[in-house]
Amino acid sequence: MYFEAELQGRKYKVDVHEERHSWKVSLQLEGQDWKHYDVSKTDFQHAEEYVSFLFEGKSYLIDVLGQDTEYTVFARNSFRTIKIFNDEMLLHESLKKGGGAGSNVELKAGMPGKIIEIFAKEGEVVKAGKPLLIMEAMKMENEMRASSDVKIKQICVKQGDSVENGAVLIKFEKPS
Amino acid sequence: MKTMHSHEISTPQNAPFKKILIANRGEIAIRVTRACRELGIGTVAVFSDADRESLHVFLADEAYHIGPSPSKESYLNYKKIIEVAKAAGVDAIHPGYGFLSENPIFVRACKEAGITFIGPTPENMESMGDKLSAKALMKKAGVPLVPGSDGGVETVEEALAVVKKIGLPIIIKATAGGGGKGMRVVRNESEIESAFRACRSEGQNYFANPTVYIERFINDPKHIEIQVFGDTHGNVVHLFERECSVQRRHQKIIEESPSVSVPMEVKLKMGEAAVRAAKSIGYVGAGTIEFIFDNQTKEFFFMEMNTRLQVEHPITELVIGVDLVKEQIFVAKGQPLSFKQENIKQKGHAIEARICAEDPTTYKPHPGQIRACRHPQGPFLRIDSYAYPGYEVPIYYDPMIAKVITWGDTREEAIDRMQRALAEFVLTGIKTNIVLHRTILGHEKFLDGSYTTQFIEKNFEVLEPQMFREVNDKVFLIAAAITAFEDRKSKDVRRFNVRSNWRSLSRKIALRT
Repeated sequence: MYFEAELQGRKYKVDVHEERHSWKVSLQLEGQDWKHYDVSKTDFQHAEEYVSFLFEGKSYLIDVLGQDTEYTVFARNSFRTIKIFNDEMLLHESLKKGGGAGSNVELKAGMPGKIIEIFAKEGEVVKAGKPLLIMEAMKMENEMRASSDVKIKQICVKQGDSVENGAVLIKFEKPS
Repeated sequence: MKTMHSHEISTPQNAPFKKILIANRGEIAIRVTRACRELGIGTVAVFSDADRESLHVFLADEAYHIGPSPSKESYLNYKKIIEVAKAAGVDAIHPGYGFLSENPIFVRACKEAGITFIGPTPENMESMGDKLSAKALMKKAGVPLVPGSDGGVETVEEALAVVKKIGLPIIIKATAGGGGKGMRVVRNESEIESAFRACRSEGQNYFANPTVYIERFINDPKHIEIQVFGDTHGNVVHLFERECSVQRRHQKIIEESPSVSVPMEVKLKMGEAAVRAAKSIGYVGAGTIEFIFDNQTKEFFFMEMNTRLQVEHPITELVIGVDLVKEQIFVAKGQPLSFKQENIKQKGHAIEARICAEDPTTYKPHPGQIRACRHPQGPFLRIDSYAYPGYEVPIYYDPMIAKVITWGDTREEAIDRMQRALAEFVLTGIKTNIVLHRTILGHEKFLDGSYTTQFIEKNFEVLEPQMFREVNDKVFLIAAAITAFEDRKSKDVRRFNVRSNWRSLSRKIALRT
């Protein structure tokens, strides 16, 4: 199975094959050669909460969170979020959108929290850098700003709402 | 070395109180519950909407709902808490830290309700609550304050006179200033005049107030605090120092005791000053005097007093060998302190690391559901944590979810042991600052003890890239790739965020043991 992946802004081509006793995983960092890894299934074992992964002489307890196109992998208290797509086009679309509020068509909550105040108004055209709303999570207030000039199409939350991670807060359109 | 109040095994018959309500949540509520259990005292937990599944609720004998999730409507709602306390028939309330712990109105309301408040008097809290009046009190008690002008400075001549008295470097601050405006550090005499004028005009322009004051500027500031304990018989004892200079966002994240930077004769002086400070206000219970410590001159100056138990109290407990929470309970009952100053000795070295649900590089809180959670174990290790597998860290409260505390015969051993413990800690599903801790513990400035309160800020560029160095990217990629393959091949329910309630429940039960 062929994937395109992205980790910390670096793009990879990924190929995974399942054999009877092992996983054949190949990785190619953009501009470099393919590297091939043969991971025995006994070295990638599902335990109750996590995966015990024995790799290149090291023992890792791994937990993979997520589904479809985005996975966060935890290992030794480090963690990385990886975007992974079957289709090259999809990855490129996703990366194009990745510039924060404004270049996105939507402003999403980066963490679960509570909406403290909303400055933006529907139909309003706002300049880059203008505060859109304040969200509070765990005693900290975070001001979310527009990263480019946009028109506010729809405000999907109201003051006092509790929102989940990834919830859509505001929808934008290009200013006419 | 201690003379405990009773050499008998604690039973409900000889317990100082029958039942204590703990007006707090999370790890500190559990800490207090443990002390009560050991003393044969019944425990009552309280919880908000968001905390029905918090571990402190599971571990107490009784637990009652006190309101909606925001603190204002639950853990700060003292009327509701006293109502619950009365209904549950408790004879004392322990406030933990934060929330109502330094609120004199709450203390008086407890008294009116005929319930003992475990902590200082409301007058103690009021004396130390306002920073300016606290400083005035401390000056009277002969506790050193940062040298500076007494109040505002009006002319350049006055400013020069102050500098003559306190020396250079100084910091000139606009009385009304803030956010870095109206503030100048002066290191050379020739700069005084221009800096003085600049501060005054910035004060006038930004805050409509030209008044400035002058203080000694401390080059290498450290946060050193002294634990004190008073009783209702007029005894006050200090339990030596804790160094809390590793801070981010002005909050402590690593503490240690003793401090390598404080020579023995200085720490004795600090202890005496702290006792003098506490005695001057007739202090009762556990308290902490915070000092700013100049690591070049080894001078110390009073900052403020915290009239409560501190988050970092365990490192003092491990080095001194006193259970501070039990001592609080005995003192609240009216018993004299169980130890005398001459019996208090520091033994070995203890370190605490505060594990927070936050991004280690941005310090942004990262609440959410914990997936895997396996706490470190092994010798000379203490874990005060309320994390468990499947627990959803709520968005409403402090991001600290666990404290890892290690003890060692030497500082080096305590650090090695902390590194070992943190490497063992498995906590997934949410971001935590464990990797930041491990990076700090390996940094030369931490290892040689020369770190100051600006340590993280000043060294962040070196610290950040090291945080994720331990695991190679290909480990993450291969794990994600195999998982993505499996997900697409057969929709395996297990790795989705759907959890069986039965599984969560069985985990919670397993965790109680």
